[in-house]
Amino acid sequence: MKLKFFCAIAWATIACIACIPPSAFAAPDAQRILAASDAIRNPGQPFTVAVTLTEYQGGKQVDTSTLKTYSRAQERGGQFASLVRFVLPARDAGKLMLKNGSDLWFFDPSTKATVRLSPQQRLMGQASNGDVVTVNLARDYQATVVAEEDVQDGERRTRKSYKLGLKASAADATYASIELWVDAENDRPLKARFFAESGRLLKTAYYRRFEPHLGAERPTETVIIDGLAPQSVTVMRFSDYALRPVPDAWLNPDYLPRFQPE
Amino acid sequence: MVPRVLISLAVSAMLHAVAARAADDSDADALALTSAPVESTQGTTRFFIEGALGRADQRYQPGWRNIGRVSLDLSGSFRLAPEWRAVISDRLDALHPSDPGADATVNSLREAYVSWQQGSGATLVDLGRVNLRYGPAYGYNPTDFFRDNTLRTMTTVNPLALRENRLGTFVLRGQQLWGDTGVSLAYAPKLASRASAEGASIDAGATNNRSRALVTLSTRLTERISSQFLVYDESGLGPQIGASTTALLTDAIVAFAEGSRGREPELLTRALKASEPRHARNRFVGGVTVTPFPRLSLTGEYQYNGFALDKAGWAAASVGGPAALGAYLLEAQRRQELASRQAWFAYATLKDAGTKNLDLTALLRVDANNHSRLGWLELRYHWARTDVALQLQQQSGRQLSEYGLAPYRRSVQLIASHHLD
Repeated sequence: MKLKFFCAIAWATIACIACIPPSAFAAPDAQRILAASDAIRNPGQPFTVAVTLTEYQGGKQVDTSTLKTYSRAQERGGQFASLVRFVLPARDAGKLMLKNGSDLWFFDPSTKATVRLSPQQRLMGQASNGDVVTVNLARDYQATVVAEEDVQDGERRTRKSYKLGLKASAADATYASIELWVDAENDRPLKARFFAESGRLLKTAYYRRFEPHLGAERPTETVIIDGLAPQSVTVMRFSDYALRPVPDAWLNPDYLPRFQPE
Repeated sequence: MVPRVLISLAVSAMLHAVAARAADDSDADALALTSAPVESTQGTTRFFIEGALGRADQRYQPGWRNIGRVSLDLSGSFRLAPEWRAVISDRLDALHPSDPGADATVNSLREAYVSWQQGSGATLVDLGRVNLRYGPAYGYNPTDFFRDNTLRTMTTVNPLALRENRLGTFVLRGQQLWGDTGVSLAYAPKLASRASAEGASIDAGATNNRSRALVTLSTRLTERISSQFLVYDESGLGPQIGASTTALLTDAIVAFAEGSRGREPELLTRALKASEPRHARNRFVGGVTVTPFPRLSLTGEYQYNGFALDKAGWAAASVGGPAALGAYLLEAQRRQELASRQAWFAYATLKDAGTKNLDLTALLRVDANNHSRLGWLELRYHWARTDVALQLQQQSGRQLSEYGLAPYRRSVQLIASHHLD
């Protein structure tokens, strides 16, 4: 009797397992999660967004600046190209930064000079040039799922997440490696740690204040904590999202002296 | 042995836990911070007032003298219609002491033009006074063909700041862009015979005292290398060719070079207004900008001007005494030319130098003919709308050398500027 009962249980278990789709057992696809998380940070069509950077030192606000970025994915390679216009403070108004692959150009309307920059050169205060332009991480990094774990998000709530390990696969990738925590429920990016080739932590970023913009719930704030000096914090606020064509001409350095904001 | 291992493991685990806890605490502190309110502005106009006061050690007079100026600087761009816009840029300098033979108050109408561009921006046409500036080098630009006579006042020796004051040229200019390539054509007609010393003049004679034309072709050779090729012609002088290139060598090094070739009289002949056959010579600059860490940039340049005096030429010209060499140096300054055949130039900027919002900029020019030197250093602190800067300058060298002839040996200035818009 007992044997029959156990056989029935065993067959029932096997039958249940057989009914579950195979995908439920597959390891999460890290590259898919990364691409989905990119799609939450970055609209799929050319767009413009205003960025307000608020810099803190030891908890005290020391600087603020406003930029407007115009971004679009390049037909070749799929990475974003961005034109960044400095709006505030007044002494920087009208300056432009163009990032197109490895090409990084800076135009100062006072000197009429269009200067090629190296990725290492920093134009803003604590934020790096790469922080303010749009980047498709899935294009530049190879991802693996390192763990499934609880993590504290930018609003200090605990979220179930996939911790992804990202290794640079493109020559022009800004960071050697990244740890990225993505919400297991909805692919939202929650937190990232960016590392140099030496393994040194360069910065930690928290993505927060998700709001509906251009067809998706997108983070409207990123909190960036300096890896070496954690008292240096930059809060980046994204506002005024709008779809906006970015013509080819805007991505040519020769166009920068002629750029006219709407 | 075992207890030691266990103790070291325990200590390591504790340190790790303490570090993780500290990181969590600092992250929690950071997450309590909020963004400043979002400000909405177009930022298409700029207006600032600047004052400078200082002292200069005179080379040809005893003791130090007061120097100073007040400057008003305005620039703006306005949309006239969807494809049309107007650009205006003007600067007024009240100088003490004024330049010899010039008014104490000098207006520089830097730009005033209307511009049409096709919706996508690929086709552009400009008409009016436009500041056309070319060349990637910092201290001397052989391909910047419209540079001569463009400075009505010399308020600094910093070449990057000098570019902010220069006059544009009255031109009709067209530009067409295709992807990574661009072609432009500019024609500047003769509008007056000579420059004006009158302070209020728009001074078309400074920039348009002969007819000139320039064709440029810019292209991106690879993702890390871009180049520009130029053909320039001016009435009475004949065509010149030029080329420049910039290359991203590593994530922290940018290299650049530019050069031009043409047939001209030598610079000394021009200064002395003598007649002499023209020579085909080159001008060249090559340099690198290195960024050892994000806030520090160091630029070094080698500069060459085939039309300037070499060592032997300088020795020969010295026979004419300070007056002849002074006229030569003034001509070089007027034309924004390199006065010596070869020179070295270094430029450094350090942002947040020791403290937030304090920027340090320094430059050094060395005349390779006679090793005379010009050094300049600026410390600038900036708030949201106001900057305060301290500038120190020293010009040294043997008597009758390029910088040994300068009227001031050294100077110190305190500068304050305030942005009103």
